[in-house]
Amino acid sequence: MADLRTNLAGIESPNPFWLASAPPTNSGYQVQRAFEAGWGGAVWKTLGDPILNVSSRFAAVSFNGQRVAGFNNIELITDRPLEVNLQEIYETKKRFPNHTVVVSLMVEPQQEKWHEIVKRVEEVGVDGLELNFGCPHGMAERGMGSASGQVPELVEKQTYWVKEAAQTPVIVKLTPNITDITVTAESAARGGADAISMINTINSLAGVDLDSWNTIPHVGGKGAHGGYCGPAVRPIALNMVGECARSPRINVPISGMGGISNWQNAVEFMLMGASNVQVCTAAMHHGFRIVEDMIDGLNNYLDEKGISSVQDIIGKSVPKYSDWGNLDLNYKIVARINNDVCINCNKCHIACEDTSHQCIDMLKDDHGNSYLEVREEDCVGCNLCSIVCPVDGAIDMVEVGSEHPPMTWNDRQAAIGSLQNPSADPIK
Amino acid sequence: MSDYKEYLSEREQIDRMFEIGYSIENVQENLSGALVMFEKIGSETETLHIKTADARKYFSNLLLQQRQNV
Ligand SMILES: Cc1cc2nc3c(=O)[nH]c(=O)nc-3n(C[C@H](O)[C@H](O)[C@H](O)COP(=O)(O)O)c2cc1C
Ligand code: SF4
Ligand code: SF4
Repeated sequence: MADLRTNLAGIESPNPFWLASAPPTNSGYQVQRAFEAGWGGAVWKTLGDPILNVSSRFAAVSFNGQRVAGFNNIELITDRPLEVNLQEIYETKKRFPNHTVVVSLMVEPQQEKWHEIVKRVEEVGVDGLELNFGCPHGMAERGMGSASGQVPELVEKQTYWVKEAAQTPVIVKLTPNITDITVTAESAARGGADAISMINTINSLAGVDLDSWNTIPHVGGKGAHGGYCGPAVRPIALNMVGECARSPRINVPISGMGGISNWQNAVEFMLMGASNVQVCTAAMHHGFRIVEDMIDGLNNYLDEKGISSVQDIIGKSVPKYSDWGNLDLNYKIVARINNDVCINCNKCHIACEDTSHQCIDMLKDDHGNSYLEVREEDCVGCNLCSIVCPVDGAIDMVEVGSEHPPMTWNDRQAAIGSLQNPSADPIK
Repeated sequence: MSDYKEYLSEREQIDRMFEIGYSIENVQENLSGALVMFEKIGSETETLHIKTADARKYFSNLLLQQRQNV
């Protein structure tokens, strides 16, 4: 049994699985039930001046029969008075002293407002604070959430104000609605953040109804953009975590989230640099008990790999994540079709013929049976055929050796550049 | 000609230049590929227009090798 305890900037937790600040963490009743189910921590639904919500609030995108491939919401922060939330936070922490309660906060970008809420929340005994600089709808129209999270100076300044008052670790939750998230991550670190978390939701419109021409969701015939999350956003979130983890300018730990639905997703985020993970949509889709499989799966994975602590996997893939210019141009793979497994559906042939490099030949054997074969010399190793193939093991992508040592684009350009400017060439 | 055949033909031309004692003196890349200029002491400069992606990788590898041998 591996040690699943984690430590994010001094915030300890019995396991890396936290519920993200969202409807699942709206009340003490819910957070306490989540802790009973096994969640290691929870980031309380964002506190601030209580808001008014609209109905409806959610919409989901199904894809080819998979429900909730993506999830869209136009819900705002808590609609309950601060005192009610604080009382329930106090009771929750008292009942579950070893579980982690982090409280998400959002107020207007004014120093005294931040000081006031930080003091009042910390008084009830919390393990840390998370600053919501990411909510992309509603709150942003009032200058909060992603509106301030998109301005690096405001991220830095507000983090600094919070740090002036805070006794507990401060996590800054970043918006993905920005071209380069490392810029705001760096601002948060400069402002004194103890950790950063990402991603909040991505600006979205779930759909348009073809009959009524209403937006989905709509509020009495009118719509506004929402925030997108769930499995569809996971690759975007994973990249943002990886970009921050590998940046030499960002030296604070990361809490990763965005589409995490199972233990495998959680491991990916941790390998890519997250010290723990947060989950919202998967819990909303399947309930709190999904954490049981997450814990078991993670445990088994670590045991099978002979790793004694989950902390030992954090960031292990980060050195493997680089810029395109550092990739080896001489590394080559090609597709190979296993005709004993292939069911002759021809999907790979069509994909390669129509949209790749026309190198899967349709041939006939001595008995007149058709089979497919890749002309390896023309195969560029793009992976498309194996991506579209419906049968596991029918196509292998195999490495073919290179006659040359590794050569990156950067190596190549330096060599060509040195011909044009020999004085800059360290070799010549 | 298939891309692969074109590559083999371009590769042969590049190999030939090295076999007869030339080395790469300059490379100019443009929309049509790469113009690779070869030099050899006492001879005229020769230029090959290399078009295929694989051959452009190939001469780059030889260029890296050439620099290492300096
Ligand atoms: C309905 C809903 C409400 C949310 N409310 C908040 C919030 O109040 N504060 C916050 O920081 N994030 C909020 N989020 C964002 C989530 O905490 C999380 O960042 C995002 O959903 C990505 O994780 P996921 O893909 O696991 O859902 C909300 C998300 C949803 C779906
Ligand atoms: S890997 Fe790409 S180029 Fe090669 S056979 Fe498959 S689809 Fe064609
Ligand atoms: S897609 Fe897969 S199963 Fe279908 S023909 Fe190609 S290799 Fe065979």
